[in-house]
Amino acid sequence: MLEDEILKWKFKGGSSEALARIYEKYVDTLLTLAMGLLNDPYEAEDVVQDVFTRFARSGNGFTLRGSLKAYLTTAVVNGVRDRVRRDKRRPARSDQDVSLASASRGPDEELVFAEDAARLSSALMELPHEQRETLMLKLKSNMKFREIAKIQGVSINTVQGRYRYGLQKLRAQLNGEVEQ
Amino acid sequence: MTPEEKVKSILQDKLHFSAGSKLRRRMLARVLDAQRESQKTKPDSPRGAVRRTITNSRTAKLASIAALVAIAALAISLVPKLTSPAYAIEQTVEALQNVRFLHLVQRDDTGQIRDERWIEIGMDGFQIRYRQQKPHAVIAKYPGAPSMVIEDGQSTAVYRDDKKAVILYDREDQQYQWVGELGKAFENLRQEGKILEENTEYQGRLAHKVWWPYLSVECYVDPETKLPVTLGDAELSYEEPSPEIFEVVYPEGYAIVDARPGATEPLPDWLLEEKSADAKASDAIKQGTDALMDGDYATAAELLATVVETQPNRNWAWFWLGSAQYELGQYDLAVENYTRVLNMLERYPCYYCNYARALAYAQLDADEAAEEDLRICLPEMVRALRLPSAGFIFEYADDPMVRYGQVKPSEPEIIARMINRLRIVSGRNFGYDPNAEAEANEAAIAAWEEWLETDGRIDITLDAELLSIPVGNGQSQ
Repeated sequence: MLEDEILKWKFKGGSSEALARIYEKYVDTLLTLAMGLLNDPYEAEDVVQDVFTRFARSGNGFTLRGSLKAYLTTAVVNGVRDRVRRDKRRPARSDQDVSLASASRGPDEELVFAEDAARLSSALMELPHEQRETLMLKLKSNMKFREIAKIQGVSINTVQGRYRYGLQKLRAQLNGEVEQ
Repeated sequence: MTPEEKVKSILQDKLHFSAGSKLRRRMLARVLDAQRESQKTKPDSPRGAVRRTITNSRTAKLASIAALVAIAALAISLVPKLTSPAYAIEQTVEALQNVRFLHLVQRDDTGQIRDERWIEIGMDGFQIRYRQQKPHAVIAKYPGAPSMVIEDGQSTAVYRDDKKAVILYDREDQQYQWVGELGKAFENLRQEGKILEENTEYQGRLAHKVWWPYLSVECYVDPETKLPVTLGDAELSYEEPSPEIFEVVYPEGYAIVDARPGATEPLPDWLLEEKSADAKASDAIKQGTDALMDGDYATAAELLATVVETQPNRNWAWFWLGSAQYELGQYDLAVENYTRVLNMLERYPCYYCNYARALAYAQLDADEAAEEDLRICLPEMVRALRLPSAGFIFEYADDPMVRYGQVKPSEPEIIARMINRLRIVSGRNFGYDPNAEAEANEAAIAAWEEWLETDGRIDITLDAELLSIPVGNGQSQ
């Protein structure tokens, strides 16, 4: 944590080395969180890239009293929610209008992961978003129920309920593996 | 260990994703670029602190006032000679994010409006209301229909002059758009846009020339408002239109066809037939392009031919039909169909199609015609070596799977394939290592630019030595 405080201070002073170190330290954790929530490597990369880019731009106006990791984690959670909302709202698009619009470009390279991770990520997608988010924040980001409740804007009891139901459903999804 | 504990343990131990080395480097480079860009555009706060310290002293205050007066006088005398302050693309992105209305006009060679659109954009960057006068997608599909499309926020009204009807769709089912995701397009401009020239002359005024990869166009930005005044050949303005622009009105004598969910009246036969033909054509394109990528060119040609027979407005179906015919050695048919695409989209650059037709011409020994096409597309091809997004459309043309999102070519892949295309048309090889760092390949790219500038001799070499394509995301090989 002390390292994070020094990194925050140096980053605020404009240090690119500090920014690079923050990126290296958290990029994989955040990618894992985004993948667990979206199960789409391109969207996950986009979200994480966006979070770091915005963070980089906050530069000398950056003030943060709390944990850097919690700050970045919350930014990813919010970025994912925006995408989930957008995907729900996105209307069917006429593919015949070829004028100025062209197909968007995707991220350039790939995520590295084991087969197990891909399977788990798919299984998580069977859960409602709130339960998935709760499980990821609790088990992968090591957040306390109190912190998750604050992010989700609900009571601790609700978070604990989501966690419990989420675990049960995931257990059913992974039945064969868990019962072995 | 209880089953729940085991689930926890599995999640904690096995759910890990990490960025591959190239992705990691690329993402970091963008992050550091964003930091540099933001440092360039933000005011330097320590300077403010110094000013405050100085002005605490009465003597210093008087001295500083005198100095300010002198500076102001000097500035007034120099104003005409001063250049504009530095411009950053970020300023345009921010200006665009505040835009709520967009008016877009494209004209033909005689100055007549051939496409006009009004768009209302929501705070979330999504289109709210829309009107397009003479929508070419509708006109191309239903010839003889000088039609119109209006979205009033709830419904989409498609005016079909050929049928004397206005069809009402639910907005969620049918939407006409200028750009699908404006927010994403803005972010792309922020991250990948490039300033080509600052304070250049454009139609008698100063403007910044900017490359916008998402839209594949160059635009000119007003130095004062920071907003684009043109995108390609489209003129842009941002005034709020009169309210009736987005109102759906029914011309006298027109039938109202309600195709929204819950409508009680049956749809007319002509509309049902059109919907059925659309669905069949989409299926046939998918199957035809699958066959094309599987190397089953005869099947691809057969399926795509059925599409263009019933829906001759499908430019990509014509293009891939040409590609299948090229692979079958039917070069004259390929030339015919590529020409059809170029004619259909004559107002839009189709460099990929010029390139494809040039190769077909070359196979027919029509060297002059091939060279004519290559003269059109070569500058764009060389440009793509530095701006890979400019080469994306070539990938799309070569691999229909890009269309369906199954393949997402990386920048190194786009560059390597473009170098292969350049080698084929020029017979030249300036070296290039797809796995080396960008600096190591600078000489090769500069050599291509030099070649285009000073020599540019075309020598189609279909057996040129080609680069092996770097593995980007594992999906395109």
